[in-house]
Amino acid sequence: MRGKVTEIVKPAVQLRNVSKSFGGNVALSPLSLTIKRGETVALVGPSGSGKTTLLNIMATIIKPDRGEVIIDGVPSQNLKPGRELSRKVGIIHQQLDLVDQLPVIHNVLAGRLGEWGICRSLLSLMIPQDKELAFKALNRVGLIDKSHQRTSRLSGGEQQRVALARLLVQRPQAVLADEPVSSLDPARAEDLLAMLTDLVREENQTLIASLHAVKYARRYFSRIVALRQGRVFFDRPVSDVSDDDLARLYDLKEDADAQALL
Amino acid sequence: MHRPFYETHNRAILSVLLVTAFIWSLFSVEWGGNLFHDGGIVTILQIVKAMFNPDLSPRLLKLALVSSWRTLAYAVAGMTLAVIIAFLLGTLASGILVEGRWSRRFSAGLFRALLGFMRAVHELVWAWLFVAAAGLSPFAAIFALAIPYGGTLGRILADIINDVPPEPVRALRAAGAGRVQVLFYGYLPMAMADMVSYVMYRFECAIRSAAIMSFVGLGGLGYQIQISLADLKYNEVWTFIFFLIGLVVLVDLWSMRLRRGLVS
Repeated sequence: MRGKVTEIVKPAVQLRNVSKSFGGNVALSPLSLTIKRGETVALVGPSGSGKTTLLNIMATIIKPDRGEVIIDGVPSQNLKPGRELSRKVGIIHQQLDLVDQLPVIHNVLAGRLGEWGICRSLLSLMIPQDKELAFKALNRVGLIDKSHQRTSRLSGGEQQRVALARLLVQRPQAVLADEPVSSLDPARAEDLLAMLTDLVREENQTLIASLHAVKYARRYFSRIVALRQGRVFFDRPVSDVSDDDLARLYDLKEDADAQALL
Repeated sequence: MHRPFYETHNRAILSVLLVTAFIWSLFSVEWGGNLFHDGGIVTILQIVKAMFNPDLSPRLLKLALVSSWRTLAYAVAGMTLAVIIAFLLGTLASGILVEGRWSRRFSAGLFRALLGFMRAVHELVWAWLFVAAAGLSPFAAIFALAIPYGGTLGRILADIINDVPPEPVRALRAAGAGRVQVLFYGYLPMAMADMVSYVMYRFECAIRSAAIMSFVGLGGLGYQIQISLADLKYNEVWTFIFFLIGLVVLVDLWSMRLRRGLVS
């Protein structure tokens, strides 16, 4: 009976005592975190608090020094890179992850590479495969008329939406987003976050995004995890987060800086 | 903190040494009448005069056209083969097709060494070897060109691939792409513009090399230049040289157009 229950509530991502340091600098102190399926989680915290490292560890791009990463019930080291992993997690970074020289449609269809064999992916460079899927995704992000343009010609905001369309085509269970709106002006940032959170809810995916602006976190997400110096500072549903909490999150950082200066 | 004299002025010291060596070398040349052989000056004047008076008779123009065509054909065939060799060996030499640090180093080391061997030997030497083995056939010229050029192009392709920005590649991997898929969706599109302009540059070189191939008896512009030189018909020599220049200029124009198309 008990086993069955844990089976049903298999968390989307689970971290157990994960730590990571880069050449003596501690990025994550032992940190544990469980994220359920369908949650939309905002990671906030001052810069250098470990948000990006945490996301990269969840995406298995970085291996933790210690601790366990369990994705959809499978320890991350047992996940095969390629198809299996790409179905479980997808990640978008800040713009850097597109191939500028390719037309938009191929950057979008790159989300299908986990599903395609080599022959099909080569053929697709000449005759795009699964075209409807790509068009549907591009339509959803409002870029259908740019599908055959060179990606480098698009603006920063448009490129961000191309990356989003790639994720739509990839359809991972959990979407990880590293500062998805940091380089956009406020209006476009709101557009993109609204789009991202809508899409994730429609598909019943899990979303974990790092954000530098807390106001976005409160408006679009269901849960806020605040990090400070590689530890969880607080972790609660968005409705329980008070202005005080946030003030303390950033003030303490300044205190620490002040102490370091003294 | 006083740095030693030779450390602060090492560039100046080296420059002075090199200039002194050059000036000193001038004294070892015998400037007397032995610099040119008897009638050498006269010959040079004849050659310069012939430059303004190339032989433009229909018979010779036709011969030059046919020879140019043959030289161009050697260059195109040799270059095509070189590009294929470079693609196969260059991607292997970049080490991106294998997993793990050690197998990557092994693949890169092995194939970089092979590419190095191919370009260590000059195309003319390869031509001699192939003529000795296969006789005077066009294939000798084509292979002689393809091997060292493939070696150079392969090395450049491997270097360009290794210098590609890592973020898009990582993103493709995260989206589920395998090694070969990343090659075609990430590395090659990113390397394409640089590679095309380098291939076009080497194509120019290949035309000059193809002309030189003729000196081992393989026909083409170089062969005609050699015959006319032997007959002391300098105005014919210049006709062929102008055709050679024309070929190179045409390739240059073509490559400029290609590059413009790729960059925009």
